[in-house]
Amino acid sequence: MIAVMVMLIAPTLAGGLSLVVHRSSLLHAINLASMGALVASEIMITRTVLSEGPVTALGQFVYLDALSAFILVIIGAVGLACSFYMRSYMDEQVARGVIAPTRLNLFFFLFHMFVLAMVIATVANSVGVQWVAIEATTLATTFLIAFWRRRESLEAGWKYLILCSVGISLALFGVVLTYYSSLHVLGDVSQALNLTQLLPVADRLNPHVLKLAFIFILVGYGTKVGLVPMHSWLPDAYTEAPAPVVAMLAGVLEVVAVYAVLRMRMIVDHAVPSTFTGGLLALLGFASFVTAAFFILIQHNYKRLFAYSSIEHMGIAMIGFGVGGTLGTFGGLFHLLNHAFAKSLAFFAAGNIHRRFHTVEIGHVQGLVIAQPWTAMALMISGLALSALPPFASFASEMQVITALAAQGVPGMWLSSTGGMMTVTLSDQFSRVGLAAVFLLSAVLAFGGLIYRMTGMVWGTPPEGVARGEIWTLGHLPIILLAVALVGFGFFLPPPIRQLLEQATSILLLD
Amino acid sequence: MPILSQIGSQLIDLCSALLLLTCFAIVAQRRLSACVDLFALQSVFLVVTAALVAYLTGNHHIYIAAALTGVIKVVIIPRVLKKVIERLNVKRELVMNVNVPAGLLICGGLVMLAFFIAQPIIPLGNILTRDSLAIALAIVLIGLFTMIARQKAVTQLVGFLVMENGLFLGATAATHGMPLIVELGVFFDVLIAALIAGIYTNRLQDAFDSVDTSHLTVLKE
Repeated sequence: MIAVMVMLIAPTLAGGLSLVVHRSSLLHAINLASMGALVASEIMITRTVLSEGPVTALGQFVYLDALSAFILVIIGAVGLACSFYMRSYMDEQVARGVIAPTRLNLFFFLFHMFVLAMVIATVANSVGVQWVAIEATTLATTFLIAFWRRRESLEAGWKYLILCSVGISLALFGVVLTYYSSLHVLGDVSQALNLTQLLPVADRLNPHVLKLAFIFILVGYGTKVGLVPMHSWLPDAYTEAPAPVVAMLAGVLEVVAVYAVLRMRMIVDHAVPSTFTGGLLALLGFASFVTAAFFILIQHNYKRLFAYSSIEHMGIAMIGFGVGGTLGTFGGLFHLLNHAFAKSLAFFAAGNIHRRFHTVEIGHVQGLVIAQPWTAMALMISGLALSALPPFASFASEMQVITALAAQGVPGMWLSSTGGMMTVTLSDQFSRVGLAAVFLLSAVLAFGGLIYRMTGMVWGTPPEGVARGEIWTLGHLPIILLAVALVGFGFFLPPPIRQLLEQATSILLLD
Repeated sequence: MPILSQIGSQLIDLCSALLLLTCFAIVAQRRLSACVDLFALQSVFLVVTAALVAYLTGNHHIYIAAALTGVIKVVIIPRVLKKVIERLNVKRELVMNVNVPAGLLICGGLVMLAFFIAQPIIPLGNILTRDSLAIALAIVLIGLFTMIARQKAVTQLVGFLVMENGLFLGATAATHGMPLIVELGVFFDVLIAALIAGIYTNRLQDAFDSVDTSHLTVLKE
């Protein structure tokens, strides 16, 4: 398939060129061209997948179905938005002397490698290759996070590198265990880690080994997603990294890591009752959601605020996947899309605010609507979308998740399997209502925290010495488009995206 | 042939045990350069194990993995780490979060935990390399513990590399090597990760005048 080739070659080529080209306008042009090619090939892939179903390409190396096509759509959309935003953002940093012009090469090189690694992680047929690609995203992004080379950014980058590498190593142990179990069924073949080989025989794999493998993989990739309690790198990294990088981390990388967990779950669910994986996902989801909701309340740094909001929303999506069923799974996937758009918009706004006000303290930012009207609008829209208010699409997806939760409850396999230690005396209905109440309470906390901070930043008069008015740049284009998409998806979901979501849901439900 | 494979199995068990033993030595060692040496020694044992498995099972692609381990983990990474240590102003781990005897006791507990976790799945494996999976898990856990217990960036990195060694032992001994493309990718990632961590250590040294990660406390709630 040509589209797949383009998707793999474009970032590689762009990365190579970025190292030798020196004019910044050329660097940006290469970046945009590569992202454009990526989006174009994704559209082709989406059409193919929707009409023909799952396909393999490049000699079994690539496996594409509606789920991976859906993830590719998110990578392409957010990636393109970032590329436009970087045009004005990076140029201003160079002009202000924050970074030397020569370091722009490194920035773009790492950025392209980051995108390439994410694409490979999404299209790879082998879960082993997927692991290699996800570890590669850690390596590509650690210097992007530490790009400003301040003490704080070095600290954030080091923390990220160490925590994620360790987490990812645990995931590799999970992959080894999967291979260990598949060898007994498939024999010693070089393709025993391929999804196309594993899925048909998954029900014959050893359930003990798969359970253990899933726990390792969930903890490992969960570190990349930023699930509590493996989240401690995330707020630091999101505060210190350049805004376009954070938009990619929060909007795309988290989604790719969730995707890796979901792929593994598809295999494990064949051999083990899906309540096992669902219970674990819901447990981590709840831990993340509730913890993050409380941390949102006490933040006084707007980048950290958005970081905790990321943890919160990943928790919601995980609860959706954990509860399962058509509604929960659909809601979880849809929430991933909404969060990717809203969070990248929020970090674009945060990047603009930081460049103007030179502070990350919420208390020092006031009167945004006068100082930067466009940014104020973006901040408000992303804030409302992140607190899941109607008419935003995130309201719909959060409703789907909580409806599924209230109707089905959390699968309780993990409770009964540790029954000796934990006696559950609550009746089923009580626990369902109770969990839904906890969910709503946390949602209200997060809503209050976000909206209170946002309004404080947007209204009022700007402090002395802050320039007023906003000059239109190319960086405003993605802000407008993302805002339109966020509002629009609540009313009308484009048919191809809806079809992708529906098919991905049925893939995850193993229909 | 049965005698040969019996001896082979014994040898693999011996090598795995030696790998585990070097883990304990690393936990007990305070000098940074000695930690790196011990890591290199552990990697040598790993090469021997991989070569034995390759010879006894006839899976020739494991030879490639063994050779790569030799080049990357016995030669390149220790050299890079030695260079980094030369630049540092501290050669010893002065403050440890957990003292040596307690650390060794905890590691003993971790080994028991690993065997306990692996118990249900050990009977699945082939006769040749039965206990290696449990030992591999133990090494991974001890590596993780080293990263938590130590404060110097270099020793944390050694802990990470020990974890990787454990993973590689698991992949080679228990499953006779992963598919070659995956193995190559893993080696590439480990090499780059070690190099990046080396660069970081230098930058941390420049920025904080120390590689003590306990200085990294600017960012918190």
